[in-house]
Amino acid sequence: MKTKGLPSEWTLQRAIAFVAALGIGVATYIAIADSGGGSPVCIAGSHGCATVAKSSYSHLAGVNIAVFGIVGYALLLATAFFANDAARFGGFVLALGGFGYSVFLTYLEIFKIEAICQWCVASAVLMTILFALNATRLIGYAGTEERARPLERRA
Amino acid sequence: MSAEPERRQRLLQMAAGAAFLALAMVLVLIIVNSSGSGGDPEHIEGKAGVDRLLAAIPQQGMVLGDPKAPVTLIEFGDLQCPVCAGYAREILPPIIENPVKKGEVKLEFRNFTIIGEESVPAGAAALAAGEQGRGWHYIELFYRNQAAERSGYVTDEFMEAVAIAAGVENLGKWNQDRRRRTDEVEKTTEAAKQLGFSGTPTFLVNGPGTKGLEPLGTPESTGALEEAIEAAR
Repeated sequence: MKTKGLPSEWTLQRAIAFVAALGIGVATYIAIADSGGGSPVCIAGSHGCATVAKSSYSHLAGVNIAVFGIVGYALLLATAFFANDAARFGGFVLALGGFGYSVFLTYLEIFKIEAICQWCVASAVLMTILFALNATRLIGYAGTEERARPLERRA
Repeated sequence: MSAEPERRQRLLQMAAGAAFLALAMVLVLIIVNSSGSGGDPEHIEGKAGVDRLLAAIPQQGMVLGDPKAPVTLIEFGDLQCPVCAGYAREILPPIIENPVKKGEVKLEFRNFTIIGEESVPAGAAALAAGEQGRGWHYIELFYRNQAAERSGYVTDEFMEAVAIAAGVENLGKWNQDRRRRTDEVEKTTEAAKQLGFSGTPTFLVNGPGTKGLEPLGTPESTGALEEAIEAAR
């Protein structure tokens, strides 16, 4: 089914999968850079990434928040493989949580850490896109029957 | 393919509830974090701003700026003093960014502990950081992370967290030095009292245009400090 004025659910699923995969890449890079005792490398010689990585806000319960990011993006990727209400609602809630937390982290960067990490901004942008995609998917297709296997190209 | 209106409506209602909850949680997190309770060794704030402010300015002990600068501005302060913290945030940065950075003025911090007993170890910790060239980083970060006066936040853990954020590299030496230098804090406090000072921050200026050290009291603005510096040139 294609709701009038909205992209097909299949298109949305593909977009969610693509953006979530990018998010996994970004979060994995940040986590790997941190695990080696270093920090992500900002472009143009900015020290923002190192400042943010060394701040006390970069870890929750001793775990780098990028690890939580990897898990979140992976779960979002998984929701893109199913066309049912559980995946639509689950994807929306995950993206909502990720988007909300990204807003909070951006606030911390600007007002508390006083430094901007370009990789964190990239992740926040990706999470914002995922929130928009998942909200569109839920609003457009909630309540419709499961009809296609995930990411199955339809004729 | 048939939509199920009831299920759809329930899902959208749940989504709206989740969005409302998420918005509330983000607002609560921001409000809690913006309350600026300070004194938290787990969250030392303002490091990037302090690093930017003091970048490329030489430090020797508690003197910030070119040691050969013709004008010397001396601040008698107490690290627990909220007015001193306000000075550090609002009034002194333009002085540091211009005449100090240009090598025209050097800024010296001396302890004048009037708030409470905890100000003595705090001041000694700053002197110890000064031995490793990070005294002004320590002062600035301490001010930016102050909690309420005499609230017990000046613990070893807090002072060490500030030292780490300030870039003190040899913490073992810093720990030894800070215990050794409490006498010096008491000496400068006594000297301030001898000069008749009663509050913090109190400033003195010295330069070719002054007759020795001239007390400035507590200038109310950056402009007032700049005028005093200009007169001392």
